[in-house]
Amino acid sequence: MSKNIFIDGKPITFEDGKTVLQVARENGLYIPTLCYHARTGPASMCRVCVVEVEGMRGLQTSCSLTPSDGMKIQTASQRVLDARKAVVNLLLANGNHDCLSCEVNGACELQDAAYHLGIETPAFFVKEYDERDASAAFIIRDPNKCILCGRCIVGCNGQVVNEVLEFGYRDSHTKVICDADLPMGLSTCVQCGECVQLCPVGAFIEKKAVGKARRWETHTVRTTCPYCGVGCQLELHVKGEQIVRVTGVEGAEPNQGHLCVKGRYGYDFIYSDDRIKTPLIREANGFREASWDEALDLVATKFQQIKQEYGPNALAGVSSARSINEDSYYMQRLFREVVGTNNIDHCARV
Amino acid sequence: MTNSFGEFKNAKLFFLIGTNMTEAHPVASYFVKQALNKGAKLIVVDPRNHALARKADIFAQVKVGTDVALLNGIMYTLLEENLYNKDFVEANCTNFEELRTAVMQYPPDKAAAISGVTEETIREMARMMASVKPGMLCYTLGLTEHTSGTNNVISVANLQMLLGNLGVESGGVNPLRGQNNVQGACDMGALPGTFSGYQSVTNPEIRAKFAQAWSVENLPEKPGLMMPDMMSGLITKDVRGFFIMGENLAGSEPNISHAEFELASAEFLVCCDIFMTETTRFAHVILPSASWAESEGTYTNSERRISRVRKIKEAPGLSKPGWWIIKEIAKRMGHDWGSNSAQEIWDNEISTLTPLVAGVKYARLKQDGLQWPCPTLDHPGTKFLHKGGKFTRGQGLFKGIDWTPPAEIEDKEFPFMLSTGRRLVHYHTRTQTARAGLDQMAPEETVDISPDDANTLGIADSEYVRVSSRRGSVKVKARITEEVPHGLVWMAFHFREGNANWLTNNAGDTTTKTPEYKACAVKIEKIK
Amino acid sequence: MPIVTQEMIDRIIHKYPQKDSAALPIMQLIQAQNGEMLNREALRAVSKATNLSLNHIYGIATYYTMFNTKPVGKYHLQVDTCVPGFLHGADEIAAHLSQILRIAVGETTSDGLFTLSTVQDLASCATGPVIQVNDRYFENMTIAKVDQLVDALRKGHTPENDPSMTVYSECGILLNDRTQPDCRTLAFYKKNGGYRSLAKAKSMQPKDVINEVKEAQIRGRGGAGFPAGTKWSFLPKDDSRPVYLICNADEGEPGTFKDRQIMEFNPHLLIEGMAISAHAIDAAKAFIYIRGEFAWIAKILETAIEEARADGQLDHVDILVHRGAGSYVCGEETAQIESLEGKRGNPRPKPPFPANSGLYGCPTIVNNVETLASVPYIIQHGAQAFKKIGVPNNHGPKIFGVSGHVNQPGVFEYPLGTPLRTILEAAGDVKGKLKGVIVGGLSVPILTAEEADGLLLDFDSCQKAGTSLGSGGIIVINDTVSTPELALRTIEFYHHESCGQCVPCREGSRVIENKLRGIVKGRGKMEDIDLVIQLCRTIPGLSLCPTGEAFSAPILSMVTKFRSEFEALIH
Repeated sequence: MSKNIFIDGKPITFEDGKTVLQVARENGLYIPTLCYHARTGPASMCRVCVVEVEGMRGLQTSCSLTPSDGMKIQTASQRVLDARKAVVNLLLANGNHDCLSCEVNGACELQDAAYHLGIETPAFFVKEYDERDASAAFIIRDPNKCILCGRCIVGCNGQVVNEVLEFGYRDSHTKVICDADLPMGLSTCVQCGECVQLCPVGAFIEKKAVGKARRWETHTVRTTCPYCGVGCQLELHVKGEQIVRVTGVEGAEPNQGHLCVKGRYGYDFIYSDDRIKTPLIREANGFREASWDEALDLVATKFQQIKQEYGPNALAGVSSARSINEDSYYMQRLFREVVGTNNIDHCARV
Repeated sequence: MTNSFGEFKNAKLFFLIGTNMTEAHPVASYFVKQALNKGAKLIVVDPRNHALARKADIFAQVKVGTDVALLNGIMYTLLEENLYNKDFVEANCTNFEELRTAVMQYPPDKAAAISGVTEETIREMARMMASVKPGMLCYTLGLTEHTSGTNNVISVANLQMLLGNLGVESGGVNPLRGQNNVQGACDMGALPGTFSGYQSVTNPEIRAKFAQAWSVENLPEKPGLMMPDMMSGLITKDVRGFFIMGENLAGSEPNISHAEFELASAEFLVCCDIFMTETTRFAHVILPSASWAESEGTYTNSERRISRVRKIKEAPGLSKPGWWIIKEIAKRMGHDWGSNSAQEIWDNEISTLTPLVAGVKYARLKQDGLQWPCPTLDHPGTKFLHKGGKFTRGQGLFKGIDWTPPAEIEDKEFPFMLSTGRRLVHYHTRTQTARAGLDQMAPEETVDISPDDANTLGIADSEYVRVSSRRGSVKVKARITEEVPHGLVWMAFHFREGNANWLTNNAGDTTTKTPEYKACAVKIEKIK
Repeated sequence: MPIVTQEMIDRIIHKYPQKDSAALPIMQLIQAQNGEMLNREALRAVSKATNLSLNHIYGIATYYTMFNTKPVGKYHLQVDTCVPGFLHGADEIAAHLSQILRIAVGETTSDGLFTLSTVQDLASCATGPVIQVNDRYFENMTIAKVDQLVDALRKGHTPENDPSMTVYSECGILLNDRTQPDCRTLAFYKKNGGYRSLAKAKSMQPKDVINEVKEAQIRGRGGAGFPAGTKWSFLPKDDSRPVYLICNADEGEPGTFKDRQIMEFNPHLLIEGMAISAHAIDAAKAFIYIRGEFAWIAKILETAIEEARADGQLDHVDILVHRGAGSYVCGEETAQIESLEGKRGNPRPKPPFPANSGLYGCPTIVNNVETLASVPYIIQHGAQAFKKIGVPNNHGPKIFGVSGHVNQPGVFEYPLGTPLRTILEAAGDVKGKLKGVIVGGLSVPILTAEEADGLLLDFDSCQKAGTSLGSGGIIVINDTVSTPELALRTIEFYHHESCGQCVPCREGSRVIENKLRGIVKGRGKMEDIDLVIQLCRTIPGLSLCPTGEAFSAPILSMVTKFRSEFEALIH
């Protein structure tokens, strides 16, 4: 027997183990959320996902609400909308949520919530500004944009377990701290960027991405990290030929969205001016540029010559443990088939 | 890896030996720590008190190069206290008596005397592993980069078979691969003895299959040289032409002075790379290749997962993908190959010739890729190997192993043991990370030394010191840390200045020729 | 560095079922040994000793007000300027201290001797103004006594505290004869029939004890009024996890100072109540979570527990006194559990409720001091006898604390349902002309003099009158007080105490405080009044714990019932 809940009068079938929010989202219904993330789970803190449930006192947070058969839920009653508006207005009033140059403009969950609630300017202002923290190598923290949703903290302590971020202080002075409230660059933070990936607003941003592109100017390409053997799945956010930022692919094997400092920020070596751009041939006083034909002919001729003079085993090749499978396959094919030797190996042991 | 990263979260116990995941495989370390937060037990065997060691239920701070003795001591306890998995051993393994005989030479008191780990800790490890299952055993180069590397690996396999931790979810023997595509390079046959998919060159039928596919009369049957022998062959002129694809051997090989001498002796050296490196200095021809993100292709990670790599930009200047360069050389040597893209190479050549990945085609590599073995087009791939205790060769083969010390140990002149490895923010010789701003977080090499030894030598933190071995000498900053015990110093090989490989020993494992990067004797001197 | 040995730390850790719980006591110990300060070095020491990460420790250190991450003087003078203190003249005391020490609030004298702070509610409402000096209280302060205190401290003496106030018990159940110097001792308690109830309970089946308490229909005395026996019966049956009992002694609602009367003068009554309750719910480990400021009361309890243990009364349960460290929200049961687990005192989402998953994820019962102290009477005399006290649905004795504008503030034990008039008379009647009264601690709506006329003090009558009996902390306000000023004091307390988790409470309290301050300072606008009202109507029910409601309800009542006073301040 399938079980139903009624969202705004519409019957929707649900499976056990899911929350009302999950059921709603799977059915294409928008309920704003700020502190909820699939990976950090329900926190019930921001209160923006509240709904009204027939027969239950008070508004319920849909992120933590377990559906039961026949449950009648209102997601857009006046009471619900008033509560959500109050929450979003309070957040807007107590920070500096200036979207104009914000890196997250267009991908901001607070902006989305305000948009859907029709809030153009906050209803009131109570502002105290804090310093931005740009002390770390790759991450900028802007406490004025922080809505204290706690996703970064759950990420840092529960997901990557680097144990750097935490809530410090309390009441409206609560803030996200690094270690004993140190600037991020002086803390034990290893810049894995989990906080950046989980942040719903612009409180954690990538230094390298600043000013590079608006969110809608980039497209994403999924690929595999070029560093260690875990093989993390990356989403490259690309504008033209430029990687603007890198994020981990949520829900993907093997990394489930996580990355490390190298995978997330170590991408721009490909744009280095040091890249070798033409084939080079050594001469008495150094290397000179050459055409492909000249260089390849030289290699082929020398290899043939050595093979003929000293036999195929006088040639040897080392393939790359960095390069793609297809390159390694062709390397061994070259040596086995063309040269006629099994002198092929790679740098497996470093 | 016999098992997968996705299984970490359900493991009940981790036995980490010679692996500092926090720095070398950070994302894997997250999964370990997530499991610990859910109550999993952690045993760490390592000479260094690294971040995960500090979270361990049992931390065995083993002396460098004594792993076999320690592992035998653990297995002795399992046998003596009747804690091993008899059902698994009887049903799935052979040669148990040889193992028993060998292991019985290592009662815990003897293992303790060799390894520096107390007898009680050795017994506790055995008892914990016997009582908490499934247990995942993971290792990295801390186990393999020894003259006894092969023996170390056999010993951990012995241990997991004895515990019945093989062929089960969240168990297994799991070497974490250091480089993004080491697994793939092995799988593809960039090894002296095997074609792609570990098909032996000594097998005539296999050779015939490849010869037919490649339209040649025959293929060489004698296994070729391993890399260290290729290098020494450059001096003896047994090897005259040498083709290095995307590796910086002059920074990553042990005993740099010697490695550079070998490279300089090459009659004709071809390097294919994206940057000029210490190695390209010795090249006669340098061929510019496309880098990551400039060509389509596939990588295979530690857990045998074949994933797509995608192109987002053109390679700079005249640079070309590696396969194109190789194909052009072949062509100019009279062999015209048909494939014109990485996808064609995979779909039309690799997967048709390699049963291990016969079911893998680019069209199937959409999301999370596929894990080999994947023999047919409808096969979902394989999460963990040896399911139900079924091994590739039939039965799991125990092998009795005797402990041998490292090739070089501390003496009066060189009183410290040097061990080496990687640090979090850098990668190998920094050809990539130095060009991505990561130097900000670690601008130079250090020699890590215990507070105890620093005190005795009168060395202050961040003071430059001289570290010397029989092979070389470097000036490097001291980093005083409780991570290393008394008598041990530790360095990485990321920087040309102060590279550990000026000092390391090129003695290698007899089977794999893997050099003993993890152990050599050095002395430390203050710079006057 | 502090002289704290690993052995001292291990001894603390050893007392707790889980190591992390020892964080607060270890931090208290190290702070006390480190010049009343937890600087980064000391925090690192805590981190190392507990193997808890530094960010976690610093998060705790900055959450609880009693931890100082910045240096303080040798004597930290803390004046309670919350509503009851304010009504008793605390502002004048603070101003005087500022003048004689020549420092502003928040500063330290140049000789490093004194730091002057104002603090929120020390639960000395009838004995205000109160100054806390390090871990000692000085109550009933006057300008003259402040001068004497400062002089004495300068000379290195510590004067005696004067905690005198009116104490009267109509029922003779919860308040004992504190004029007797040995009133705290086991001998005194037993001489008056103590521990007989425990003996009786032990001869009964646990389920029968639960039934008796259920039958007595005793409603929780912490403020919510939920029947204690029913709460106990929510414990899962046939569960292998250990059950924990927590006595909530975090008395922090301004106007409330009743639990300390039992703990300080009649500790064995609470211990006996806990011992019976632990037997009933099969808890082998029980905690008294006492607010951190009550350091001397914690010692009294520890002494009494030791006596009872030596007397063989506690062979079935181990009771541990655990001091909080300065947080109102830790009076909420899930926040208290978090705090007892060594974390920031952030309330948890419910469900799961503590009876199912509380301390360390185990079944847990949290009861107020006064509730547990009522249990011996119920068992000794039976549910029926208990129900004879009070009025229908509101049974038993209740301690009322009266503070503010009365002639003889103090504590009064009367049956539930006693007229407010009777209790005000017992407290020497209103000083001046009554403007309004808050009957259940600061978190309930204020009643005007007219509304309060004829009120009976029980849960149901108060609800009918549009307020709540809460904890029974009665704050009396005469017509000399400006309601906007009172409202500002009120929101200052709750803003300061908000744990900071939920947006409506954290940001709402900040906005309300900001707007009310604007009004009081003459910068307000008419729409500010409406904004405050609108927020107070939206916030209730919109946060994880009742704190949002705890300020919305009183502020809304003050603004709506006395709106003209607010409007009069707007130009």
